[in-house]
Amino acid sequence: MGLFDKLAGWLGLKKEVNVLCLGLDNSGKTTIINHLKPTNAQAQDIVPTIGFSIEKFKTSSLSFTVFDMSGQGRYRNLWEHYYKEGQAIIFVIDSADKLRMVVAKEELDTLLNHPDIKHRRIPILFFANKMDVRDALSSVKVSQLLCLENIKDKPWHICATDALKGEGLQEGVDWLQDQIKTMRT
Amino acid sequence: MSPVESGGDGGKWLDAHYDPVAGLYTFSSCVDLADLSGDGESRLVVGDLGSGSSGMKLKVYRGTALMSESTLLDLPAGLVAFFMDLHEPRIPAVAVASGPCIYVYKNLRPYFKFTLPSLEVNTLEQDVWQQVREGQIDPLTMKEMLESIRKKADVPLSVRSLRFLSLETEDMDEFVQLHKQQPIRRQTVITCIGTLKKSTADEDGVSCLVIGTESSDVYVLDPEAFIILSKMSLPAAPTMMDVTGQFDVEFRITVACRNGNIYILRRESDKPKYCIELPSHPVGLVRVGKNVVVGCTNESLQGFTQKGKKLWKAVLAAPITTMASMDLPTRGFQAVMVGLANCEVQLYRDKNLLSRIKTPDVVTSICFGRYGREDGTLIMTTKGGGLMVKILKRTAAFDDRDSAPGPPLAQSVRLNVPKKTKLYVDQTLRERENGLAMHRAFQMDLSRLRLAAAKAYVKALESSLTPMSSSLTEPLKMNAVVQGLGPSFKLTLNVQNTAACRPVMNLAISFLYDESLYRMRNPYMRIPLLVPGLIYPVETFVECTSDKGISDIIKVFVLHEGRSSPLLTAHINMPVSEGLTLN
Repeated sequence: MGLFDKLAGWLGLKKEVNVLCLGLDNSGKTTIINHLKPTNAQAQDIVPTIGFSIEKFKTSSLSFTVFDMSGQGRYRNLWEHYYKEGQAIIFVIDSADKLRMVVAKEELDTLLNHPDIKHRRIPILFFANKMDVRDALSSVKVSQLLCLENIKDKPWHICATDALKGEGLQEGVDWLQDQIKTMRT
Repeated sequence: MSPVESGGDGGKWLDAHYDPVAGLYTFSSCVDLADLSGDGESRLVVGDLGSGSSGMKLKVYRGTALMSESTLLDLPAGLVAFFMDLHEPRIPAVAVASGPCIYVYKNLRPYFKFTLPSLEVNTLEQDVWQQVREGQIDPLTMKEMLESIRKKADVPLSVRSLRFLSLETEDMDEFVQLHKQQPIRRQTVITCIGTLKKSTADEDGVSCLVIGTESSDVYVLDPEAFIILSKMSLPAAPTMMDVTGQFDVEFRITVACRNGNIYILRRESDKPKYCIELPSHPVGLVRVGKNVVVGCTNESLQGFTQKGKKLWKAVLAAPITTMASMDLPTRGFQAVMVGLANCEVQLYRDKNLLSRIKTPDVVTSICFGRYGREDGTLIMTTKGGGLMVKILKRTAAFDDRDSAPGPPLAQSVRLNVPKKTKLYVDQTLRERENGLAMHRAFQMDLSRLRLAAAKAYVKALESSLTPMSSSLTEPLKMNAVVQGLGPSFKLTLNVQNTAACRPVMNLAISFLYDESLYRMRNPYMRIPLLVPGLIYPVETFVECTSDKGISDIIKVFVLHEGRSSPLLTAHINMPVSEGLTLN
């Protein structure tokens, strides 16, 4: 496998990874994905996603296919249909929305207890987004409120981000790339 | 953020926020949700009553935090958010009713003040004040005159005169000096406020304000010019109201009044169209679809149609503190939330209790709607000034179980009755035509059957063949069982005394049989005392002596000592002996 990977790397063929991007509406999922795309493919205006959209971006060694799911309440029941395909999950949280932190926790718990996710060791990357907002919660506080310490059987990581400026995104994506690589070998 | 234990709500609600010391003292009529900044996030607008005499404030919450507050001059009676114009961006204005005025806020800044037209003043009262101004009478005489006017006049006194009458003698002079120069005015106060869409039913359509006043009037105000579009009068002062429809098309104003009645006003009629007389005073009024749900002081919840027909009544566990409607159009769900004095909020759809929420304190106001970006948010304030926000889970489902005992569900299930066949129709026709003949034939057959039965009975009695005793003193029953293949049989006779309480004594059993065929160990047996009800098995052995494969009848007689005729007889058909006697 290792040899093949190296060979693929030399040939410029990168491993394809399917990633699900989840989170409540207005948490910044599309903005984050938009920032990770190559500069020439970035959209100027971000509008609320309807249903979901598929985006692609590449890192140094992996080629990501992201299912950018809509976070609106009426589309959230679509999420579970894509759990099987997902090899990693990006969960975006609006750190400034203290009121709906419980809703985010509820959706996360539903996600973690879904049969397609429960027994798989897939990496989950949390983006505590909107750090630029004045009264935003810290990433530590967010992980506390979401009870992330209870996730024992999956690798997870939380990053404080500001998707408008792109701060903190690279750190998270690097972690995700390392996790996916270690899982394959 | 301190999550509370939410027991008993079946895990349908998420505890988003609870601040027990928010210092919000308000009622459901002074709470509304509106997108005040046009950014898609709804804010909570509260008319805070403060301590009741001071500290009245207009407070706006965003998420978990207080965003702005501004002082109100008077106690708020009602608060509504409404669109007053068509300007973009669509930002609603907030109308606060207090005293005789409506204060309209736009962008959270005072924008307009509307004052209700003053009422007619008693001319006699005016004369008295005129005389005082001219110095013709002293305050004491004036007090007497006003007192007599108050008792007799149809037009009530102004607030100023009433205030004067309540004063002590030493304060009167000063009061008169202070006020005698101003003309008398009589003002009414607003008791309730609502909104009515002007011409479109759109969510963000321009709305008129509908106000109910202490003078038993209902006014509809134009939202832009603030002129009175329509005035309707009621038999009593309104306390709560619900408005539906559009002003230019058709509307319905349901008003609960202080005389314990509910009146329904409609367009083009300045008098109530329908009236609902309640058994006790209303404390809450909510419209669900086309029906009206009223909470009463007698701890009951009642449903009425829009024409005032009573539909149902549900009895509650505690007095009602407040009521609000729960409308979730995305899921097509409508229900009524009822705050109770026993620290509970119950959710009713029609008369069925769907769910209950335990609260740490008595809830005084409930508001359900879109708050922030979440559609199903429940906002409650408590008696102690707490603010509680709960969010309906996305997966929550309310099952409409009829909790009241009544006809079982199966009763309403339609039976799969097959269609009428041609045969059935023919048969019915025949029955209809020949009914008389059929009845006669039936009656004749029935009589014949009865006769045959009677004959058989008489025959049985005459020959004493019955296994049932016809004697009244010794009612007996017997049955016989033959066991075995032969040549030896076991004969068991089960004898039972069927009398209610009297035992039977001095009985014996004897057998009559063909002695050439059968041999019996003891053809005569005595029966012990028979206790009523018990079955006594009497056993004996019969041996078939013939090997010709024939069988006969054995007659059994139950005899009473000292009487020749048997009480009971039985014929036992013996089976053919299948074995050979081993001699």
